[in-house]
Amino acid sequence: MEFSELIRTGRAQAELLPGPEEPPLRGTLCVTGHHLLLSPGPPSTADLWLLLLRSVDSIEKRVAGDSGTITLRCKDLRVLQLDIEGVEATLDIARSIEALSSLESVITSFPFFYRPKGLRLGDAWHFHPPECYYKRVARETNAWRLSEVNQDFSLCPSYPRAVIVPRAVDDDALARSARFRQGGRFPVLCYHHAPSGTVLLRSSQPLTGPQKRRCAEDEDLLRAVLAGAHPGARGFIVDTRSAQAAKQARMTGGGTEAKAAYPGWKRLHRPLERGRALQESFVRLVEACGDPEQSMDRWLSRLEGCRWLAHVKEALSTACLAAQGMEREGACILVHGAEGRDSTLLVTSLAQLILDPLSRTITGFQELVEREWIQAGHPFQLRCAHSAFSHARPKHEAPTFLLFLDCVWQLGRQFPLSLEFGEGLLLALFEHAYASPFGTFLCNSEKERCLCEVRTRTHSLWSGLNHLKEQRKLRNPLYVLNPLAIWPSVEPQSLRLWQGLFLRWTRPPESSEVAWEKVWQIVTEREKTEGSQPTAST
Amino acid sequence: MAEGAEQGPGAEQPGNGGGAGSPRVSIMASASTSKYNSHSLENESIKRASQDGVNRDLSETVPRLPGEMLITDKEVIYICPFNGPIKGRVYITNYRLYLRSLEMDSALILDVPLGVISRIEKMGGATSRGENSYGLDITCKDMRNLRFALKQEGHSRRDMFEILTRFAFPLAHSLPLFAFLNEEKFNVDGWTVYNPVEEYRRQGLPNHQWRITFINKCYELCDTYPALLVVPYRASDEDLRRVATFRSRNRIPATGGGYESDDAYHNIELSFLDIHNIHVMRESLKKVKDIVYPNIEESHWLSSLESTHWLEHIKLVLTGAIQVADKVSSGKSSVLVHCSDGWDRTAQLTSLAMLMLDSYYRSIEGFEILVQKEWISFGHKFASRIGHGDKNHADADRSPIFLQFIDCVWQMSKQFPTAFEFNEQFLITILDHLYSCRFGTFLFNCESARERQKVTERTVSLWSLINVNKEKFKNPFYTKEINRVLYPVASMRHLELWVNYYIRWNPRIKQQQPNPVEQRYMELLALRDDYIKRLEELQLANSAKLSDPPTSPSSPSQMMSHVQTHF
Repeated sequence: MEFSELIRTGRAQAELLPGPEEPPLRGTLCVTGHHLLLSPGPPSTADLWLLLLRSVDSIEKRVAGDSGTITLRCKDLRVLQLDIEGVEATLDIARSIEALSSLESVITSFPFFYRPKGLRLGDAWHFHPPECYYKRVARETNAWRLSEVNQDFSLCPSYPRAVIVPRAVDDDALARSARFRQGGRFPVLCYHHAPSGTVLLRSSQPLTGPQKRRCAEDEDLLRAVLAGAHPGARGFIVDTRSAQAAKQARMTGGGTEAKAAYPGWKRLHRPLERGRALQESFVRLVEACGDPEQSMDRWLSRLEGCRWLAHVKEALSTACLAAQGMEREGACILVHGAEGRDSTLLVTSLAQLILDPLSRTITGFQELVEREWIQAGHPFQLRCAHSAFSHARPKHEAPTFLLFLDCVWQLGRQFPLSLEFGEGLLLALFEHAYASPFGTFLCNSEKERCLCEVRTRTHSLWSGLNHLKEQRKLRNPLYVLNPLAIWPSVEPQSLRLWQGLFLRWTRPPESSEVAWEKVWQIVTEREKTEGSQPTAST
Repeated sequence: MAEGAEQGPGAEQPGNGGGAGSPRVSIMASASTSKYNSHSLENESIKRASQDGVNRDLSETVPRLPGEMLITDKEVIYICPFNGPIKGRVYITNYRLYLRSLEMDSALILDVPLGVISRIEKMGGATSRGENSYGLDITCKDMRNLRFALKQEGHSRRDMFEILTRFAFPLAHSLPLFAFLNEEKFNVDGWTVYNPVEEYRRQGLPNHQWRITFINKCYELCDTYPALLVVPYRASDEDLRRVATFRSRNRIPATGGGYESDDAYHNIELSFLDIHNIHVMRESLKKVKDIVYPNIEESHWLSSLESTHWLEHIKLVLTGAIQVADKVSSGKSSVLVHCSDGWDRTAQLTSLAMLMLDSYYRSIEGFEILVQKEWISFGHKFASRIGHGDKNHADADRSPIFLQFIDCVWQMSKQFPTAFEFNEQFLITILDHLYSCRFGTFLFNCESARERQKVTERTVSLWSLINVNKEKFKNPFYTKEINRVLYPVASMRHLELWVNYYIRWNPRIKQQQPNPVEQRYMELLALRDDYIKRLEELQLANSAKLSDPPTSPSSPSQMMSHVQTHF
């Protein structure tokens, strides 16, 4: 397919209003296959302005007289206005943006063309393979092995090639367990908590169906988990659906683990909203945050009505429940809902952040996102196809990953010294999950990424972030290693609206960034003086 | 930094009310799994250690200020709203109520100045049957209630009630407020912080438009104004006398911080800021207390908070102050701020506007002067609004006007984290001593009354306490900037409830003190200073060595490693 077919007009004169805080920019507007460009006219010396078309969420056009206005609402929640000379030009540019921003083909997307200076293709893709995490587990316990049973993705299309499973269970048993779980997602290890010798696992729902089917290998697998932990270990199955919803799922072939079939395991239901409900909550919140007509004395009840903070609270408390089970009750935890690719990952990844100090470092956090979201098969392409502004009827969109980032932000706010990374990294991950020149968040699973050759033909975001000049924006200058679990307060009074994200484009003039910058100055000054000392002493 | 020092907002600390260990949430009985506390093992072991060290002869371990006297002590059950009944011994002095837990698994301590008490009620009668239903319920001005259960026998409740009433409400018993008995000595004198003439001079007054007058020297012209006033140059003292009879309670227009009226009503823009009266504010604060103490309204927290209208009032006050500041800074016009009597809203608006316009007032000293001048000197009726030592808890004059001002300052400090020299603890300390009656600073309604009582001679100033501990109250992120005007965003989206003040008694919400970020930052600063010092010493030693004639063939690197051994 040729992009040129979709580009209806080459260029036009336009003025860009980038936002309330920034000055307007005049120049020549130009649509290319992947970008909208504005090159400022001769009087201005400003740099070329560039917008990835993929990041446009909705487009609105108005014409009056001999000019027109296009409002672009972006996936990162920015709102841009373009005033364009000429009615035809306006309409053509709008149509071009519409067509190009909604292309669904992965292999013609920008990451396949993006070749930044200083980065080599293939770099950083090898950062976090399953083997790497397995090495750590193997140092701590002998009860687990790395299985390549899913080598060709035939057992479970949404799992990576290699998964960590109980040593006592062979690949044949895994295959049978896989057939008993929706989408083939049999229970696998996601985290070994060395201090208590317990593990965190995830899977999808068992396919018990109305006949209450059982699967001996699946039962053996969970029995082996307890046996591998410590003598007399118990287990909890945290089901992210209500008891009623779980029961209803039997009608469509799903279901829950029967108590009698899994001795030592006890089921807990912690319903988390997902899918449509979550997307609507996100849309309502963004609407409320951007509403200039909002009667301000009703802001708080409107914020409450969006229910976003309630979702944050539920996600964090379910993660706390799982973490608490491991740390304090010495129990093994299996988390699943239905498919096990959304709220399940939310819970397992947050529980690890609470418990595992390594996951709170920059590298550890990247590894966590890679392992628990990308390789674990969160369908990013479906979930992040549109952000909060799209008029298209949502099909598979859901801001589960954003909810995760928000929860991490809340952790960082409550434990300002314990995360090595800062708000900047979370904002970057949000932006790149929805639209990115990097390949990291492309596709819905490792299988798809493999088919599209994403790892060899695009650059990794981790490599991009690690080469970023402004590392300061990503790091927390106050970080000190905290070896303890960090238990967040989940009372509504302790949770805040993430202003840095939701009010990012309409913020007060000074924010905590200024204070952050000050701390950085001190830290670097210190490092400088520190650095000059060895020189003097050798 | 010690390992695991950061425990987060849920962390419980011994002392300060309600700090006893809460029951662990069992995963089996997971009805209340939303209650997560930072409850590290380290934390608990510290707690245990402190218990083991508890000295059973407690009378010696009760803190006492010079001039403070122990009146009585009793065994009581403190009905902690967060952790249930705790057996303890209560000590009542002429300044405070101090309770220490007698239970092995709790290190709870309550330390409450009697000045914060607004009301003491008896609960339960002779026929009360239920456990812990007979005792006292004490309402405090600082967003909490204290309940004690006592034995019915032996008149212990009657004794405690009478003693508390006597010392919490000394005015009704012809007793002095504790501030007049306090014999604390500080090596700085907070009363000298504010000198009107010097402060006006800092502002460039008097000048050809404004003059200083002593017309109110004996508080004859206006008894609620200070002795020294700055007035328009062309207004003669005779004019002022005539104006005074025209204004409510003789409060003539005078400079509150250099932002003032014209000498007549020509070209004056009237704006009504639409801020409600003191009674509405009082009721609003009461509603805030209802949703945060003892139990926090959880299921509909934000809409409950909205229905108190507290943040909305904060928004209106800030908006008003922004308008005043904007008029002064942009239009080069002077602004006359007034409300009905000119000592509530007026003080809020002028002082906040001054804080926005003049960076000097954002320093610790500047803020003290601002409070001293705009609030204390210009006659905000602290005695009536707070009711120091007065038992009439339902008095219609009570209103949290000053609290609202401090809340606005906190909101500004949130939005401009580098603009204020002081930290949150500074503001909380001011509010604590607004009620405590330990210092003379906030006592009485106006300067003339303070003069009659010789407050500056007979009491200690709060600024003495603060200025000898300045480090404790400093914001490490402060960057001094001259001539920077700050306009906060007075939008509901950017205002938040001051959780660390209004919900500080709840152990689940309580923020760690000192703030871990500030603490870490201070450590970094100290480290840097240390390195710089070392480096300078090295360079000094180095240059000294180099300037010496070489007496040995040692290489510079050897010299440096020699120097290195100093450290």
